[in-house]
Amino acid sequence: MAAHVPVAPGYLQMLKQGARYYSGLEEVVHRNIEACKQLSHCLRTSYGPNGLNKLVINHLEKIFVTGDAALILRELVVEHPAAKMLVMATQAQEQEIGDGTNFVLILAGSLLENAEELLKLGLSVSEITEGYKVASNKALELLENLSCLSLKDIRDVTEVAAATKPSLASKQYGYEDFLATLVAKSCVSAIPKSGEFSAESIRICKIIGASVEDSVMLEGMVFKRETEGTVNSVQDAKVAVYTCAFDSAKPETKGTVLLKSAGEFMDFRKGEEALMESHVRDIAEAGVNVVVVGAKIGDLALHYADKYKLMVVKMTSRNDLRRLCKALGATPLLSLTPPTEDELGSCSKVYLQEAGNTQVVIFKQNQECPMSTILLRGSTDRLLDNIEEAVNDAVSTYNTLIRDPRLVPGAGATEMQLAVKIADFGQSVPGLEQYAIHAYSKSLQSITRALADNSGTQTNPVMSKLYSLHQQGESSAGVSADGEGTDLIDASEAGILDPLLLKHWGIKLASEAAITVLGVDQIIIAKKSGGPKPRGENPNWDVPHDAIDN
Amino acid sequence: MSAIKALNPKAEVARAQAALAVNISAARGLQDVLKSNLGPKGTMKMLVSGAGDIKLTKDGNVLLHEMQIQHPTASLIAKVATAQDDITGDGTTSNVLIIGELLKQADLYVSEGLHPRIIAEGFEAAKEKALQVLEQVKVTKEMDRETLINVARTSLRTKVHVELADLLTEAVVDAVLSIRQPNEPIDLFMVEIMEMKHKTDSDTVLIRGLVLDHGARHPDMKKRVEDAYILTCNVSLEYEKTEVTSGFFYKSADEREKLVKAERKFIEERVKKIIELKKAVCGDSKGFVVINQKGIDPFSLDSLAKEGIVALRRAKRRNMERLSLACGGIAMNSVDDLTPECLGHAGLVFEHTLGEEKFTFIEQCSNPRSVTLLVKGPNKHTLTQIKDAVRDGLRAVKNAIEDGSVVSGGGAFEVAVADALIKHKPNVKGRAQLGVQAFADALLIIPKVLAQNSGYDPQETLVKLQTEYKESGQLVGVNLSTGEPMVAGEVGVWDNYGVKKQLLHSCTVIASNILLVDEIMRAGMSSLKG
Repeated sequence: MAAHVPVAPGYLQMLKQGARYYSGLEEVVHRNIEACKQLSHCLRTSYGPNGLNKLVINHLEKIFVTGDAALILRELVVEHPAAKMLVMATQAQEQEIGDGTNFVLILAGSLLENAEELLKLGLSVSEITEGYKVASNKALELLENLSCLSLKDIRDVTEVAAATKPSLASKQYGYEDFLATLVAKSCVSAIPKSGEFSAESIRICKIIGASVEDSVMLEGMVFKRETEGTVNSVQDAKVAVYTCAFDSAKPETKGTVLLKSAGEFMDFRKGEEALMESHVRDIAEAGVNVVVVGAKIGDLALHYADKYKLMVVKMTSRNDLRRLCKALGATPLLSLTPPTEDELGSCSKVYLQEAGNTQVVIFKQNQECPMSTILLRGSTDRLLDNIEEAVNDAVSTYNTLIRDPRLVPGAGATEMQLAVKIADFGQSVPGLEQYAIHAYSKSLQSITRALADNSGTQTNPVMSKLYSLHQQGESSAGVSADGEGTDLIDASEAGILDPLLLKHWGIKLASEAAITVLGVDQIIIAKKSGGPKPRGENPNWDVPHDAIDN
Repeated sequence: MSAIKALNPKAEVARAQAALAVNISAARGLQDVLKSNLGPKGTMKMLVSGAGDIKLTKDGNVLLHEMQIQHPTASLIAKVATAQDDITGDGTTSNVLIIGELLKQADLYVSEGLHPRIIAEGFEAAKEKALQVLEQVKVTKEMDRETLINVARTSLRTKVHVELADLLTEAVVDAVLSIRQPNEPIDLFMVEIMEMKHKTDSDTVLIRGLVLDHGARHPDMKKRVEDAYILTCNVSLEYEKTEVTSGFFYKSADEREKLVKAERKFIEERVKKIIELKKAVCGDSKGFVVINQKGIDPFSLDSLAKEGIVALRRAKRRNMERLSLACGGIAMNSVDDLTPECLGHAGLVFEHTLGEEKFTFIEQCSNPRSVTLLVKGPNKHTLTQIKDAVRDGLRAVKNAIEDGSVVSGGGAFEVAVADALIKHKPNVKGRAQLGVQAFADALLIIPKVLAQNSGYDPQETLVKLQTEYKESGQLVGVNLSTGEPMVAGEVGVWDNYGVKKQLLHSCTVIASNILLVDEIMRAGMSSLKG
C-alpha cells in the first residue's frame, strides 16, 4: 500500500485509511463511561436472588436463558473497547474466585457513572482516580474487620451447606437448600486429607428428565456412555485402564503382511486370534474384570473380552480418563500388558444404568473417593445448564473458603456498611478527593440498591432505613429477598453470608477497571481487519487434541 | 503546474512552501499525539487493533509501532524515534517532541524568509555545542545498586503507575545485577520475562531461577521436587520416522509383535542411560529433573516417571541456554557421554497450575546467572503493558552500567543545554545564530511538557527553572508534585547518558533532513492504481 502525498494537514491523514481516532474528555471519557454504564445497567437486573434472566442468542444461534453474569458476558461478545475492559475485570474475578462477576460489573459501572457526574461538576480525571484509589484501599482495609463468622470445619456438611447457600440462592432461588446440601456433600466427600481441594474433583453429569429434586450425589464417576461389550454390571471391580488401543499392537512404521499362499493366510488369521486371546486371557487372569480404554477398540479384542467376561468401557476424553484413574486409584497403561497389582484400580460397583432416555455408566465407590459426581436432573436443557453454572459457582465458593474461611454478611449488608464507613472517612480527607470518595461510597450503595430494586421493594425508603441502621452500628442489616413481611433482615442471623475473599477481589478488580477506563484520554482504533479472527495462543501447544480417537 | 504533472498527469506532488508545510504539520501532529504521554504524570492511550484487541500504553515506542502511520513524513519521524528505542531502549517520546519543536521553531524563521539550509547549519553547530555540554554535565560514578535503582525508577515511572514502578524497579535492577558478569557484555536475553494471567499487577516478582510455561506431561510425575539435579538435553526421546521410505514385512502376528518392540528399542536405550545416571547420582532424598528440547513420548515418560524422574519436553531453545546459566551444568546433545558433571542443581522445582496452563518453577539455584521476571496481571493488556515497561527498565539499567555515567533528568539537562547554547550563540558566525537560538528554544519543550502534563503552567515553571539554574548553577529539574524547581541529582532523578546523546544526534539529523525537503512526489506506475 503506497502512501499518498497528503493534502490537508491533520491527525487522521497520518493513519491508515479507515482508522478512527478519538481524544479528549468529551469524545473519549464520556463515551467510554456511557458504554460501560449501558453494560452494567443491562446486567444490573440480573443481580441477586430475585434477579431476572436474560435470553441471549449467541453467534452460533444457540439460545441461553440465564441470569449468570459471567455466561451472559461470555456469549455477548462485547466489542466496545472500554466496556471490554470491564468484561476483562469480570473474567479475572471468574478466574480468581469463580463467583461474584455481576458484583464487579455493577460496582465498576456505578463507579464510572458517579465519576461522570463529578466530571460534569468540573473535577479533573486525575482527582477522581486519586480519590477512588484512596477509597478502594480504605474499603479493602475496612473489609478485613467486617467478617462476622468463619467456616470452622471445612468437612462439616451442614456448615458448608450454609456457606454455599447464598451463592446458589442468587442463581437458583427456590432450590438453594436442596442444592446446597448436594454441593456440600460432594465437596466434603471429595476433599482429600491434605486439604488441597480442586474444583476439578466435583464432576457434573446432566441428564434430562425427572425434576431437580431427583438429582443425586455419587461418590465416584458417571459417564454418559454405553458399555462396549455384553457385560453390564460388575461388583467389586478390578479395573485396568489403557490409554492405547484395545487391539493388536501396530508398529509406527508402515507394515505389510507378506503372504505367499492361502495356507499362510489361514495361519496368519489363526496366529492373530491366538495372540489376541492370549493377551486378553493374561489380563483376565491378572484379576481384572473391567477394562477402560482411551482409544480404539478392536472387534476381535472385544470378542475375547466378552468371552472372558470383561466389562469394556470406552472413554473419549483424555481428561476423563485421567480423572477416572484418580477416582479408582489406577495407573494408566500404555500397552496391552496385564497390569500388576498396584496398577489396578478398584471400584465397589461398575454398572450400566438407564436414566431417562440416557444410558450412563456409573463407577460407584463405597469407600472414600477423591472424585464425586453430581447427577443433575431437570426438565429442560436450559434449566440443567443454569443449575450447572450455579453448582459450579457454589463449588468455587467452597474452594474460596478453603483459602480463607472468613465470611461477611451478604444481602447487601457489607456494601452498605462499607459505604457508611467510607462516607465518614471521606469527611476527614482534605482536598478535592473528598468528592470522589463520596462517589465511591455511593457506588457501593448501588449494589445494595440493585438488590432492593430487583426484590421489588420500595427502594428509596428501604435504602434510607438501611443507611440509618448501619450508621447506628447494625453492621449486618441487609435487604430481604423473599418479599414477605419486612423488607429488611439481619443477614448474619438469616445465614446469608458471602466469602470475604469474594468481596475483596471484587472491590479490587472493579476499582482497578474503573480507574483504568477513566485514565484513558485518547483512543486509536485501527481499521477492522477482515478474515477470520486470529487464533489465540494455544497453551497446550505440545499435546494433541483432547479427543484421542483416531 | 509542476513539470512532473506534464510528464505524468496522474502524479501527485507538493512543492516548496506546500511541501514544507505538509512536513511541519505532520511533525507537529505527531508531537501533539505523544505530548500527553511524557513523564510520570502522562496519560494513557487506548489502542484497538484491527482484530479488536485492546492495548493500553503510555510508552511512545509501543504507540508509534501500533498506530499504523501512513503519512510519509510522520512515519519517517516514527521510524527514527523507534530506532532510538531499538538502540537505547528509551527516549522515544522525547525524540518526537524535540523533532516537532525544532521544526516549529524553524518554521518561525523560514516564514520570515530565512533559507532552511542556514537553519540546518545552525542546528548542526548547536548540536556540537550541546554534545560538549553533555560531556560536562554527565556524572560519572560507581554504578552501585542505589544509582541503578534511581535510573530504573526514572525510566519506569514514565511507563506505569507509581506503586508498580517502584516494585518493578527493584526487580529489574536485581535481575540485571545477577546476570552481570565482570568484563562481559550484558545479555538481556538471559532475563526471561514470563507472564501469568493471575492476581494483580503488584504481584509481579523476580524469580532467581527459571520459570517455564509448560509442565510435566505425565500424571504420576511429582509436582514438587526438592534438592534436584537438572539434566538439560536436546535428545529425541520419541520414535522418529526414518527419512527414507521404509516398511516392515511380516508373516505372523508374533513377528509383528517383535517388530513393534524392536522399533522402540533404541529410544529405550537412551531412556535407560538417563535412568542409570539418575541412579548413580541420586540417593534417596535427591530429585532428578530432565528438561528436553526435543519430544519425549508417552512410553519414555512412563519409564522415567516410574523411576521418580520429572521430565519436561519441548523446552524453548533459549531456555536451554538460560537453564545451564541458572542451574549450572551443560546442555547435552547426546546421551552417550553423560557424566555427573553435566548436571545442574536447583533447590526447588515445582509445578503451578493455572486453569489450563501449567508453569514449572526452577528455584533456589546457587548463584544463578539467568533469572526470570514473572509478570502477573489480571488481563492481557496489563500484562503487555508491564512487559513493555520491564523491557525498557532492563535496557535503562544495562545502559547505565555500560555508559558508566548518568545525566540529571526531569528537564534539568535540557535547561542547562539551552542556557549554554544562548551563551554560545555569539560565537557562531552569521545567520546560523538563528538556528542555534531555535535549537535552544526547542529543547525547552521537555520541561514545559513535563510541567503541563502535571497540571502546572508551562511558562511559569520554565521561568522558575531558568532563574533557579542561573542563581544556583546546579542542574535543576521540575518537581512534578509541586511544580517547583528541584535539584534532580539530589532526589535521584537520573537519565541515561546514552539516551540523551542519541537523542541529540537523531533529532538534529532528522529535523534538518525534513527541513531541506522541498518537493514531495508520488508518480510510480504501480502505486497509482488505487
